[in-house]
Amino acid sequence: MARTLSVPVARPAPNITLLTWGGIALCSALLLPWFRQGREIFSFLPAAMGLVLLRDSPWVIGVVILATLAVTVALLPRGEAERGRGALAVGALGLLLTTGELHLAGRPFGVGAAIVVLSFLAVLGTGLALSGMLRVDAFLAGSVLWMSAFVFIFILFPLWTVLKASVVVDGRLTLGFVEATLRAPNFLLVNNPATPRNETQIAALVGVTAGVLVGGALVVAGRRWRAVAWGIAVSTGTFVLAALYLGFGAVRNSVLLAIAVGVVSTALGFLFALLSERSRLPTRRLLGPFSILPIITPPFVLGLAMIFLFGRRGFITYQVLGISTNIFFGPLGVAIAQILAYTPIAYLVLQGVVQAMDASMEEAAETLGASRWHTLRTVTWPLARPGLANAFLLVAIESLADFGNPIIIGGGVPYLATEVFFAIIGRFNPNEAAVYGVGLLFLTLLIFFIQRRWIGRRFYVTVTGRPSAATPRPLPAWIDYGVSTIFLIWMALLIALYGSVFVGSVTKLWGFDYTFTLQHLRDLSPQGWQVFRTSAKLSAYAAVPSVLVGFLIGYLVTRVDFPGRGALELSSMLSFAVPGTVMGIGYILAFNQGVLFLTGTEAIIILAFVFRNMPVGIRASVAAIQQIDRSLEEASTMLRANSVITLRRIVMPLVRSALFSGLTFSFVRAMTAVSQVIFLISAGTNLATTQLLSYVETGRLGRGAALASVLTLFMVAVILALYAMNRRLDTRAAEVVTA
Amino acid sequence: MRRVMVSVVVVMLASFGVASAAPAGKVTILCSPNPPWCDAVKAEFPKATGIALEFLRLSSGEALARLRAERQNPSFDVWFGGTGDPHVVANEDGLTEIYRPRAWDDLRPELREAVAGKYIPLYAGILGWAINERLLKEKGLPVPRTWLELADPKYKGLIAHPNPNTSGTGYTLIATLVQIYGEQEAFELLKRIHRNIAEYTRSGPAPALLAGRGEVAIGITFVHDALDHVLKGFPIVYGAPRDGTGYEIGGLSLIKATPNRVNAIAFIEWALTPAAQVLNAERGESYQIPSNTKTPVPRIIPRFQDFKVIKYDFLKYGRAAVRDGLVQKWTREISTLPK
Repeated sequence: MARTLSVPVARPAPNITLLTWGGIALCSALLLPWFRQGREIFSFLPAAMGLVLLRDSPWVIGVVILATLAVTVALLPRGEAERGRGALAVGALGLLLTTGELHLAGRPFGVGAAIVVLSFLAVLGTGLALSGMLRVDAFLAGSVLWMSAFVFIFILFPLWTVLKASVVVDGRLTLGFVEATLRAPNFLLVNNPATPRNETQIAALVGVTAGVLVGGALVVAGRRWRAVAWGIAVSTGTFVLAALYLGFGAVRNSVLLAIAVGVVSTALGFLFALLSERSRLPTRRLLGPFSILPIITPPFVLGLAMIFLFGRRGFITYQVLGISTNIFFGPLGVAIAQILAYTPIAYLVLQGVVQAMDASMEEAAETLGASRWHTLRTVTWPLARPGLANAFLLVAIESLADFGNPIIIGGGVPYLATEVFFAIIGRFNPNEAAVYGVGLLFLTLLIFFIQRRWIGRRFYVTVTGRPSAATPRPLPAWIDYGVSTIFLIWMALLIALYGSVFVGSVTKLWGFDYTFTLQHLRDLSPQGWQVFRTSAKLSAYAAVPSVLVGFLIGYLVTRVDFPGRGALELSSMLSFAVPGTVMGIGYILAFNQGVLFLTGTEAIIILAFVFRNMPVGIRASVAAIQQIDRSLEEASTMLRANSVITLRRIVMPLVRSALFSGLTFSFVRAMTAVSQVIFLISAGTNLATTQLLSYVETGRLGRGAALASVLTLFMVAVILALYAMNRRLDTRAAEVVTA
Repeated sequence: MRRVMVSVVVVMLASFGVASAAPAGKVTILCSPNPPWCDAVKAEFPKATGIALEFLRLSSGEALARLRAERQNPSFDVWFGGTGDPHVVANEDGLTEIYRPRAWDDLRPELREAVAGKYIPLYAGILGWAINERLLKEKGLPVPRTWLELADPKYKGLIAHPNPNTSGTGYTLIATLVQIYGEQEAFELLKRIHRNIAEYTRSGPAPALLAGRGEVAIGITFVHDALDHVLKGFPIVYGAPRDGTGYEIGGLSLIKATPNRVNAIAFIEWALTPAAQVLNAERGESYQIPSNTKTPVPRIIPRFQDFKVIKYDFLKYGRAAVRDGLVQKWTREISTLPK
């Protein structure tokens, strides 16, 4: 990033940035509260004002002096570099003193203290920019510091707390708790003593057999060296899977579920992507709306619908087919509900991949005489592989973190996400919950690692900017019809499931008495409507900051060079990869007491939303910013615009569409979130999703269906409205450009 | 350059500002009964007193965990409903304080004596089961009469009971069996029943619903929760084992050191009035015996004299050590067994 050109002047004018932040720090330190007593963040205790604290806290005196110094540095007629060094010292010391005071007092922070910390960070940033230590202007330097502070406090710190709580019990470092939890049969039991068979032996046998078979086949095919490697890999893999399958416990259930759901959803998503990009049949037009629906409703609404349709008294199983079964209560039902809910995620990822696969490569292969199969294996497959791995990763993580479906139709079998929940919400045993959380985290990272290994460093660039001559090749007719049929079945199932929720909301007693009633909808007053309003309000509050923070971080990591850039990017994406359940206990453990006490407030839920959904904004803006030619920004800088003006006038208008979809997506994700916020809700901050879960769990299916219907309709309306707004914005922008 | 930064700050602060503004004259309730009862209380209490009410519905085990988690910074004023044992634990943990309401002398003496002032009795309910006779008939099975018969392998996959980790009902079941058969024999019995369990539910009333919908044939729950589903039109009957059954005294507790004490007490006094105590049967889909003797008891509500109710030792089984020990033992030794 080019630096602002400095023009020599006779007498340097006061530095406005420094003056402003110094002034804000001074006023807040003196007049705003340093701490608060209860949960009310905006409570103004006179005794917490800096003016009062001055009497007995040398720290506060120091902070006030430093803030005054910041103002002085801004006013003194000195050169930029000298001012910068002054600001650097003042900012760093001020930060130290403020956090020192907060830490020593140990009382929940007040508004004043928060503003003072942010102001000193800004002063420090200005110092870094002025002194030339960072080759950017004050705004960008300050942004780097602010964003790093946010990411540290709201992502890294909670995760660290979870890790710590799993090994530090009552202030002592011990592995006893880890061991006790890991050895508990609820976690994982490979060799079940209560059964006569020896599961480990069977699994080993199965593994070795599979390895020998695969190895043997490869030997026959004449590939000796690969045979050994593959044989070992396959037998290990099969052994692990077989051991898990025969075993018992949360790890077993969660892992098998995640693998099954990941594989099936990715496969379905890929088929649907093919359908949408390469089909000649009209069914492809239906893909859009039906892939959106499961995303904009909480995932467990499908679990609720499964009870309606496939339970013991399910409409299809009992009324239509006349069978009475509860096999859908358990991992199978959870798997089906999750597949229905998460296939759209895989579809959306893979749609882009299929779009980007240039048909001319396949044509080239075939021109060179490759058979269809050979083309598929050597051209199409390597191109699709990174996308498939990515889709699998996303789905598997969602499945691991999903909380609603296992609790509604999981049949009381342990899953990692529910065990975390029971440990902290049911027994308030933070250490045990932390161990489960670390287990979940470990599995997620393992999947992540395997995915990275599998894709390797191979990337195939097919978007070169040059127009491709080849038109996308349509699917062969039999595949086209086959996939269309699968999609139609999937769609029918989805319609039936959502339909049953809507019908269930006006049905007296599903399964027994199908009389029409509006009672369930009336019963939503007052609690149902209130939680609904809370959800909409908090999600809306969170949407704007999460996109703004995401955009800023996205801009910083793509365009600004500063030390720790990679770390900032990685850790801000972390909150996306870490299961919501783990983040949830992290927030409870980190923010339940002390300086950062926030639990039970609306603020903590908003913060959870912001930092959970921020990566969406980051990804969207990184992708959009990378497409903008740097010369535009450089031109703006040459014309002596500072980075704020460049961002606002040049970059933001160009990425507006991406920002807007980021906004939409953040809102949707917040409205449908369960797994993280279920740990954070309180009386005034109960959300629609968690209330819905509570209705369903206590068997108020009618009332639950009513709330779910209202929620679904609202989300559809919001999405349509935002979509229309975005289109109007786009046409307006087009008019401006052409005018 | 400041404009964007300032606007970010303004947006964020404004969100928090609106977000944490709280209306005056409010009471915050931890609500453990059925959600419809909580919903009804939320609708009626402000009408009677002009005080706004917020609640969070948590099963009583979860409610206790929440109170423990918030020990330093309680956010609730009153804990309304839920089985009594966790109320006793909360009191011994110093999480709730003893408050003697004006209506104390009107409360049923047998309930008052049983809880020894550890909390305020709100209602009483008898442990039993909801039985789907049609499903049993389809399978050619007899209706069970005792706890012991539940262990019969012929009921495999047909029984549900609440998880004692989250549900006070689940704990009442375990404590009842321990009081009837002694700890060792009770756990042996639970182990054998475990093989027949289709599902351990998170909340207490859920097994009645499962039985009602025919997901299971026998749902162990409080008879008032079973009655709720009978009245809704589910093809079930309620009953209790003949070898004796336990009961609960639903609790009402004032949270210790709440800054909102005046409103909290106003709520407690209101909750014990006959006008409030008829809410459960009329609007709350809950059919417990109300604790105030002045409250008219609807005829449909199951009474003590209809069942063989044991002399449940609330003080012993409400002790934290005993309760946590039994729940942990169940989690470790029973819930993990294969079926």
